[in-house]
Parts: sequence; C-alpha cells; structure tokens
Amino acid sequence: MDEFDNNEIGRLLRLKKYEQPPPGYFENFLHEFHRRQRDELLRQPLWRIALGRAQDFMMSLNVARMASYPVAATAVLLCAAVISLKIYQTTPAPNVARLSPAVPAQQAAEGGWSLAAPVSTRFTVSQPRTHLSTHRAATPPRYVLDSMPVSYESSLRF
Amino acid sequence: MSRPCGSNDRLGAMEKLVLRWFLIPFLAVALSARAEDQPASAVSREVKDIFDHCKRAVVKIHGADEHSELSGTGFFVDPTGTIYTTYSVAGEGANFSVEFDGKKLPARQLVADIRSGIAILKADTTSPALPIGKSEGMEVTAPVVAIGYPLDLPETPSLGLVGGFDRKYLGYYFHTTHLRVNVATQRGEAGAPLLNMKGEVVGIVAFTLENNSSCYALPIEAAEKIRSDFLRFGEVRHGWIGANLMQALEPKAGSSAEVTELLDNTPAANSGIHAGDILLQVGRREIHQPDDIIDASFFISAGDNVPITVMRGNERLTFSVQADVHPTTEQVQRIQRLQHPLMIAQPSTTQTTQPLSLEKAPERTP
Repeated sequence: MDEFDNNEIGRLLRLKKYEQPPPGYFENFLHEFHRRQRDELLRQPLWRIALGRAQDFMMSLNVARMASYPVAATAVLLCAAVISLKIYQTTPAPNVARLSPAVPAQQAAEGGWSLAAPVSTRFTVSQPRTHLSTHRAATPPRYVLDSMPVSYESSLRF
Repeated sequence: MSRPCGSNDRLGAMEKLVLRWFLIPFLAVALSARAEDQPASAVSREVKDIFDHCKRAVVKIHGADEHSELSGTGFFVDPTGTIYTTYSVAGEGANFSVEFDGKKLPARQLVADIRSGIAILKADTTSPALPIGKSEGMEVTAPVVAIGYPLDLPETPSLGLVGGFDRKYLGYYFHTTHLRVNVATQRGEAGAPLLNMKGEVVGIVAFTLENNSSCYALPIEAAEKIRSDFLRFGEVRHGWIGANLMQALEPKAGSSAEVTELLDNTPAANSGIHAGDILLQVGRREIHQPDDIIDASFFISAGDNVPITVMRGNERLTFSVQADVHPTTEQVQRIQRLQHPLMIAQPSTTQTTQPLSLEKAPERTP
C-alpha cells in the first residue's frame, strides 16, 4: 500500500467508476445467487447434511424438555444390555487353511517317491470353502473356448 | 315333412358357398402347416438320434495349467480310451482327468501339437468311440451337430450348417483349411466333436468367432494326420521342403503357384526344382493357386518321399523329394537372413575427399 499515494488511489477509483458489469448482470443476480447457494449446499459431505437435518429434527422435538431422569436411566440400561450381549456371545472358531505335508497326498498314500507330478505340490489342503463366510462354493474352472487359433502359418512356403 | 324346392336349392347353394370359400381354404392351410411341421420334426428326430448315439463317447476334460483349473470337451476315437481334443484344452496343462460314465478317470497327454492345434489324451479304460468321417467331401450348407460341455452344464447338442472352408482369418493363414460352421458354441466346448448327419466326426471345435454365433473347427483329417505321425514315429513330424511360393503373373497348366525361392540347406535346394517353376502337384494334392500349398504342406510328414510336379517352360517335370522336419518360424527366418544378409550402408570409396577451405565457402544470401 505504501507504493500508492492518495492521488494514485484516487486515479484508480476514477477509472473503476467507468467499469460496467456485463449486460443482464443485475437481472440474473438473484437467480445466480440462489444457484450458487444450492451448489454450496450440495457440495457438503453427506454426513454433514444428515447431521444438520438430524439437528433440525431434534430441535423441532424440543429434546431438552423431554429429557428427564427416567428416560436417561432407560437409555443407559438399554445400552448396557446391548453391550453385554455382544461381549458374552460365543465366537466361532476361525476356519484356517492347513498346509499339506511336503509330499503330495497321493504319493504318501502309495508309500512311494516319484519326481513326477510336480503340479500337485502347489496345492494346500484346506478346509472346504463352504465353511467360510462366502456365497461361492469354489473358484470355477476356466471353461476353454478361445477366440483365435493357437498358431498361424507364417507365409506360403512348404 | 317336405320343404319347398326353392328353399332346398338355396340351402344347397349356401352349403357350396361355405364349402368353397371357407372350408377348402381352411383345410388347405391346415394341411400345409402340417406338411411344414413334418420336415422340422424329422430334423429334430435326426439330431436326437445322433445325440443319443454319440453323447456317451463325448467327455468333459478337466486339467490345470499355471493360471487356473480348466475345463473343456473331448471325445473317444477308439475303444482303448484315446481322446481327441484341442491344444487349448490339453496342450499346456497337467493333471488331466475325464468325466466318463459318471466317473472321473485320470488321463495322460500323448500329443500336444501347437501347429495343428490338436492334443490327444489317453484314459486307461474301454470306451465307446465315434466313427471318423471326412470333412473334405462336405459342401457349404451341409448340416452338422456339435456335442459339447458348455460351462458347468451337461452335454449339449448344437445344430448348424457348414458356412465355409477357410484358409485364412483376419489376414493370417491357418496351417490347414478350417471348417467355418454356424454352430453357436459356449466356453467349455473347445474340443467338441463336429458330426455330420451320419454321426461321423468331421471336425473338432477349435475356436469361436465374434459373439459365439459360429465357430471354426479343425478338420478331422488334421487330427488323423497327427495321430498317424504319433503311431509311426512316437511324435508329430511336420515335414517341409524349403521353397517359397508366390502368385505367378501368368498361370500355366491351370496353376498360378510359382516357386520364387529355394532356401539353402533344405531338401528343395538339391531337389532339381528351380525358382520360376510353376507348381502343379505336391503329394496327392493338386495345386492351382499359392493358397493350395497350405493343405499340401500340412499333410507332409518328415522323412516321407514326396512327389512334386512342376511346369518349367512347356515341360512337365516330377521330382521325388524327401521331406525334412518343419522348422520353427524363427529357424526359417535365420535361414533367410543367412541367405540374404542385410545391406549395411558404407562410406563411398570412389568420391575423393576435398580439404575444407574458407576461401571456397559458398556465398550466403541475406
């Protein structure tokens, strides 16, 4: 502000005097104001809107007058009952996958050792997935039908 | 009780009118509708017969590759449990098993040939077998039935028509002519047998076209060639001669397949065939255009002596060439690189060097 003296400021203000808003500005002012207000309201997070509405609702009920000792005691008792039910409920044992022995189960049963069938070593013996809290019994296999041939002829040679 | 004669006549006329204008057209329409129903029910009965007769020989194949478990279709081709399917089903996986007669039997891989797209499995069991037919004699519009296992559903028949015999698709050549059939197929039906109306296998469902409305099937002759190689040599031996072809400018003796190049160190190099010869026949297959070599080449086995007939000038010549093992694409490219080394730019030696001098600098224009 030190850079401007009074004369300078006066000159700028005189210049400002000739600035005009675009045509239709004042006609649309109220409409634009309401639109922006609505936008601001909608831009709020959902929880804040819900909280505001809940507050309005509670205020309309006049909670302060309703709050009395019996009501408070009932609420406390209800909360205590709910919490105690949660605490003393028996938790089911978790279903955890167990690792298979290092050798494939098939070979162990036969009592022999073989270098064959390395794929079987990839699997772990786990409890059936139906015990888990999921709707799917098992991962479905890949049903094969490609959309292109597995190889092409590179050119017309024989 | 007698009626007046005029009234009787009027009634007769009415009856005739009703008979002529209503009853006869009604009967005609009813009969024609019945006549239309008859062929439809005949086709349905025929498909049902094929399905009932063949479905026991069609099996569901399970396996696992490095990605996941997989499921496809296959079918028995002999009573000892030999199963034809596609490479995509049983080519790269392991731990194969087949569902047959309500049991799950282990199966082992005998052949997995990526060039043809065919895989052969073996289950140690006695089995029904589908009779082998011929796809070569079929015509476009010939009806065909596929029996496959879509998704996790039971064996399902699908009726369609042969839509064409194609050698290339989307600009790429197949290794042999494929049957394009208007049979709607679903995932899980790769490897399903394609049957003619006699219940003979003419193809193997290989891959689907867009939106599964039709599919390509490998001709059964290709699978038989692979099996024959396996029985003869214990492995698949695709043969090759080592010659390149192109469309000739001028056809000769009904062929426009011109030999353009003979690759070094291949059977073709020492066969007596020359570049510029017009190819007329390879083995038992006549050649009329360069595309015809697709099938002629596929059915050559390495080690076989192949008679090759060419036209040189006005002379018809036949050479017997022993086919070598078909190289991979990379091997062929290596041979071609050796034959045609890349031209590398080098500094010219003819131009004399001139010393730089400020005096000879060109004048600049502003």
